Amino acid sequence: MTDQQSQAHAGEAQTAQADMSGVTEKQMRRMRRFDNPWRNPKLMWGVGILLGIVAMGILGRIFWDPDLVFVGSAMPRQAPYGFENLRGQEGLLAHPLGTDGSGRDMLAAIIIGAPNSLFVGLLASLVGMSVGIVLGFTAGFVRGRTDDVIRVLSDVMITIPPLLILVVFQAAYGDVTLTMMALLIACFVWQSPTRLIRAQVLSMRESGYVQMARLSGASTSHIMFREMLPNLVPYLFGSFIANVTTSIVTAVGLEVLGLGPQRIPTLGRTIYEAINAGALIQNLWWWWGLPTLLLAVMFIGLLLINLGLDEVSNPRLRKL
Amino acid sequence: MRLTKAVLLSSALALTAVSGAMAQNVAREDTVIFDLDRTISDPENFNWFTPGTKRMHGAHQTMWEPLFILNYGSGEVEPWLATGFEANEANDVFTISLRDGVAWSDGEAFNADDVLFTVEMALGNEELSSREAATIRAQVASVTKIDDLTVEFTLNAPNPRFIVENFGVRIFGSFLIMPEHVWAGQDPATFTFFPPIGTGPYTYTSSATNRAIWDRNDDWWGAQTGFMDLPAPQRVVFLETGGEESRAQLMVTNQLDAAQNVTIGTFEAMQAQNPAVIAWYEDYPFAAADPCARQLEINTTVAPWDSAEMRRAVAHIIDRSQIVNVAYEGTTTASTTMFADYGSMAPFVDAIVEAGYGLPERADVDAAQALIEGEGWTRNGDYYEKDGERLAVEIHVNSASTEYTRTIDVIVEQLQRAGIDARSVPVENGVFWGEVLPFGAYEMSYSWLSCGSVNEPWASMGRYTVADVVPVGERSPGFNNTSRWDGAGAEAYSAIVDDIGNRALGDPEIPALVAEAYQYLDAEVPFIPLVQAAKLLPFNETYWTGWPTNENYYNHPFFWWNHTHQIIHNLEKVE
Repeated sequence: MTDQQSQAHAGEAQTAQADMSGVTEKQMRRMRRFDNPWRNPKLMWGVGILLGIVAMGILGRIFWDPDLVFVGSAMPRQAPYGFENLRGQEGLLAHPLGTDGSGRDMLAAIIIGAPNSLFVGLLASLVGMSVGIVLGFTAGFVRGRTDDVIRVLSDVMITIPPLLILVVFQAAYGDVTLTMMALLIACFVWQSPTRLIRAQVLSMRESGYVQMARLSGASTSHIMFREMLPNLVPYLFGSFIANVTTSIVTAVGLEVLGLGPQRIPTLGRTIYEAINAGALIQNLWWWWGLPTLLLAVMFIGLLLINLGLDEVSNPRLRKL
Repeated sequence: MRLTKAVLLSSALALTAVSGAMAQNVAREDTVIFDLDRTISDPENFNWFTPGTKRMHGAHQTMWEPLFILNYGSGEVEPWLATGFEANEANDVFTISLRDGVAWSDGEAFNADDVLFTVEMALGNEELSSREAATIRAQVASVTKIDDLTVEFTLNAPNPRFIVENFGVRIFGSFLIMPEHVWAGQDPATFTFFPPIGTGPYTYTSSATNRAIWDRNDDWWGAQTGFMDLPAPQRVVFLETGGEESRAQLMVTNQLDAAQNVTIGTFEAMQAQNPAVIAWYEDYPFAAADPCARQLEINTTVAPWDSAEMRRAVAHIIDRSQIVNVAYEGTTTASTTMFADYGSMAPFVDAIVEAGYGLPERADVDAAQALIEGEGWTRNGDYYEKDGERLAVEIHVNSASTEYTRTIDVIVEQLQRAGIDARSVPVENGVFWGEVLPFGAYEMSYSWLSCGSVNEPWASMGRYTVADVVPVGERSPGFNNTSRWDGAGAEAYSAIVDDIGNRALGDPEIPALVAEAYQYLDAEVPFIPLVQAAKLLPFNETYWTGWPTNENYYNHPFFWWNHTHQIIHNLEKVE
């Protein structure tokens, strides 16, 4: 961490005069904030958006009836409050975001569905990353036969299009649980972290502090996880977030095809049902529009986190 | 120089060959495009005796003609390739007279030899598994040729419905006669019959997994003999549209003339964007009554559903009015019996209801839970459990239509709330009909397998007799008794149903016998009737008029049936 802080200071020196004369008060404030690179505005906005979705899931379950998410809970095809549907019926406050074609409440669908989609992404990415970290470090540090096996395995796996395999698998098994789906997706998101971490470790193992640790007789696992891992943290986070995005895209892709969990509401499944029931031609925009909007917000949040993490790990990207 | 000439000549020849192979262009206004709700898995196989999409992609609507067509409006059996039939006093010998002058599209005459050949082929080959072939095998003892245009059938048992059941397009198809001069010497179980020929006014042009194209044969026998004019459309296309949204968009943009079932909301949206789109009724509920009432099929060999008490519990949980309101948006009505609620079925439906076996619209969850608890299950949290095992059920549903999946979504929810961990297993159309249903590879499923009765009760009731019970893993003959309902109750039921089958149509004792047999269905519940089926089929009047409607009721509008010949003959080009 000390390394990075000194880098951060070096970055400031490039943009401001050495005597700080040309720096406004505002820029000074921002610079002080950059003393802690983690207090990055993009990062905080991104995290805020995702926490907002989680909070909506938690608070929604307390203040709204989650059972409304099931078929036949309300009159179908009601418009959101303040709008009219094709038959000219006014939206009701009882279902402020309207209902879908099978009488599910859209607010409940979003309260339950959005955290579910996020959960699949996080779990799949977490599992995939953990596997990737262990394999990547092992390959890069141990080298030799182990490296060959891991490298070939990840190189082969990276060429297989995940959606193809997952579609076949899920079509064969029909209904799967959310966790099951996340684990399936995890099988396809470990390769690129493995390759990238391996490359980083290969260059890092030659650096002075690792050589020093080795000379001091530190064990392999100590060097790998105590000495090298902390230096990779911002990078790992970036890779993790990119994986979350990939996993959510994959999960939504499967759900929009009608695969994945049948009864557990997710944003992708809601879109699938909307398309399947002709929601576009019936102008039931709230049915497909709200989940699409929420997915867009979720992706923007993830993107902001990724950009923020980039700036944390690469001070040159920071602007005053 | 000679080389150049040779190259030019051969390329010219090649071009001619290619353009000959490609069908000539037919203008859109001379083409009628029907919607197909399934993929044609084997587009170059026309052996309709074997499973798969071999008929409803236009083959039996344009190319293969039936002997008779039942008119749903008048109840008459109208002759088509045949001119009439006679039955003996006992109703076990039938003589069919064939129309003179009918010819196959390759010029060969259609006659008694073709009928004899096809029927004997079905009788002698157990592998021919289509429903129509299985029915012929079950009913016909022998068939003989009297002369070139007369055939005599001797039946195993009296059957006053023999003609309409086998040759009259009562439900979906009929026993189609195949050309002897093409099929002779072939193995009927594996022969692909490609390219196919028929007697109809259209011939096969091309097919792929998502479409089949049929072009008019201007030398059709019917026009030459004066039986009927040539139909107006020069080309008929059956196109897989896939899903309600694309179906609706194609209709709105006039790229489709007849669409499969859509939900009422979609239909209203289509009509708002394209006023040329019509349906059976001009107004709500728009949809035509389908003779195949919907039901929940139960495999009675799989625990815990092998217990009649458990099946009755499920029957109590079903809330039909919710299915009507949510899945059908009020376009249909709840079933009171297994039968279609046609006026002609009223005496039998009334007899069942009077005997106290009519089905309620609303659920009685308390009664259901008492039955489940009586079987030793105890509720633990959301679900019932016994010996540490949760009471769960998988319901297989055909994913081809929103109607099917939405109904099962509603039922899953009803069962879940009553404490049964139900979930739906959507499967592709071909897998559903080819593997799940006939082999009993399901616990419960959504279908319409008691379909059959239109004006008498036997056709439906006769589908659940013990004679058709086969073990799980073997194919149920003609989708009959896929529940594999067996035991003392089923035997008593079968005895009464056999008695009904042997009586003449209109025997005054039949309603009482129906009610008597129905007590066993009521007690043992081998399937649960749900709702009447209604099909909202949008037709497009931009290019063609003359579609079947309630005002123009020459026959019903189900254009995937064998009677669609009549629809195509009734179409008039919009000038």
